[in-house]
Amino acid sequence: MDWIFLAELSVNGALTGLLYSLFAIGLVLVYKSSSVPNLAQGALTMLGAYVVLAFSIQLGVPLWLAIPVAIVIMFFVGLGIEKVALRRLAGRPIVMILMMTLGLDIFIRGSTLAVWGGTSRPMELGVSYDPFFAGPLLLSRINMVGAAVSVALFVAFIFFFRSRLGIRLRAISDDYMASWSVGISVERGVGLSWALASVVAVITGVIWGEIQSVDQSLSLLLLKGLTVAVLGGLDSILGAVLAGILLGIVENVGSAYLDPIVGGGSRDLLVAIVLILTVMVRPHGLFGRHDIERV
Amino acid sequence: MNSTTETDSVSDPILTLNSIEVLYDSVLLAIKGVSLEVPRGGMVALLGANGAGKSTTLKAISGLLKAERGKVSRGEIKFDGQVIGDSLPQDRVAMGICHVIEGRRVFEHLTPDENLEAAAPISMSRQQIKSEKERMYDYFPRLAERKSAEAGYLSGGEQQMLAIGRALMTQPRLLMLDEPSLGLAPFLVAEIFDIIQKINREQGLSVLLVEQNAVAALKIVSQGYLIENGRVVMHDTAEALKANSDIQEFYLGGGEAKNFHDIKHYRRRKRWLS
Repeated sequence: MDWIFLAELSVNGALTGLLYSLFAIGLVLVYKSSSVPNLAQGALTMLGAYVVLAFSIQLGVPLWLAIPVAIVIMFFVGLGIEKVALRRLAGRPIVMILMMTLGLDIFIRGSTLAVWGGTSRPMELGVSYDPFFAGPLLLSRINMVGAAVSVALFVAFIFFFRSRLGIRLRAISDDYMASWSVGISVERGVGLSWALASVVAVITGVIWGEIQSVDQSLSLLLLKGLTVAVLGGLDSILGAVLAGILLGIVENVGSAYLDPIVGGGSRDLLVAIVLILTVMVRPHGLFGRHDIERV
Repeated sequence: MNSTTETDSVSDPILTLNSIEVLYDSVLLAIKGVSLEVPRGGMVALLGANGAGKSTTLKAISGLLKAERGKVSRGEIKFDGQVIGDSLPQDRVAMGICHVIEGRRVFEHLTPDENLEAAAPISMSRQQIKSEKERMYDYFPRLAERKSAEAGYLSGGEQQMLAIGRALMTQPRLLMLDEPSLGLAPFLVAEIFDIIQKINREQGLSVLLVEQNAVAALKIVSQGYLIENGRVVMHDTAEALKANSDIQEFYLGGGEAKNFHDIKHYRRRKRWLS
């Protein structure tokens, strides 16, 4: 067995996995406040990328400015989605909210296609594609940048959830009724979580837009992101990060050894197997919160 | 032993309910005309059996009805001389009404410390939050010992104390407690009621207490209302209620004849509801 090759596969897998985590963090934010996997997160990611491009390519704004502007815009888009589409669903069965996120997904994908068309556009982030060697390991620079952003975001959210505002959000995610009873505005909290998820979507959109360029297929990230979020436990940000690393390694190492045997395509199969096994064996994921039963 | 002075109670109640009706889902009439008064700085009990409309009355006052698709369809609620109308729960909390809902409902995955912090008003300074938390730990020393454990793992009594402390963090002038004795050992009920009485006496906090445990409730309140089938059927001082023979039979467990079938039926119902 070639250990260096295995190490290279693992490290690159972990880096890619952290990019899935980046996406999954957005899912976790909404899940925490609304107890629903946001099926529109993929479409939001794509929309975020298109908004960045609208400023950088169509209006000629430099990228370092276009990204923060897009973040601000998408923050308000997130607030708006909660206010217009979700607030009236509060207290309705979860499946209704889930269907609403599916509807939003289709709506956003349809409207981005109508506005920006189906051609693929580059993000032009300016990250070099020269090979980068860490010792004997060949690594991808853009993946390293993305992984760093992912970890930074993770740390930022850990601090955020310990702040006063973050504690309130966690209270909301624990118990709506009790939150109302002590004067916490649940509606505003849920709105904020959608806004933050939309901000994460912009960041994810920029990184993934650089990797695979911006087109409709960007919204398909949902499948891998959802797998990571489910594996991590849906409501745990730490879970999303670790599950991302794990899935990335399994996918990269597994497919490198399986592909020659089955003739390619085992990558997605492995992701599907992880998702199915998680739901079967450990429904609340690696770090998912389960309801506390006192004995 | 009663904490109210009867003089200012008559003149200027902090809370007045004027024949309110509550409608769920626009069809189900849960409360059919409840009128009651809580004197400023007084302690009032709202007694009655399961399903009589006690919790619904509290939710009408705190605004939590909205979350259950209920609304006040008739009558008016006045707090501190102001008609509440259909303002949001958070606005009522800001006015000074806080409702400790039934079943404790602490934020299970937050520590007691975070539970208290979550309930502090946004306008409260960091310094103030800290001193208010210290005040709660003075009232409930048991909480101080476990302030960094997850609240979901606290005992029932500790959770009830935390729920009350959390409500006090909102700086209420009227505290409404929904069945704080539920599922607790008698010595814990006594401990919690003692603290409520102490806060009422020291801070002049008005209290509206909903209880099935009439024995414990009538020990600390000055007056009580009895509610049955969504209507107030009796209103008197605590002494008079304790002496009333109907109350003794049905709510204080003093009567002789006990129909065992009713008791079983009641327990079965309770299991469904909890």
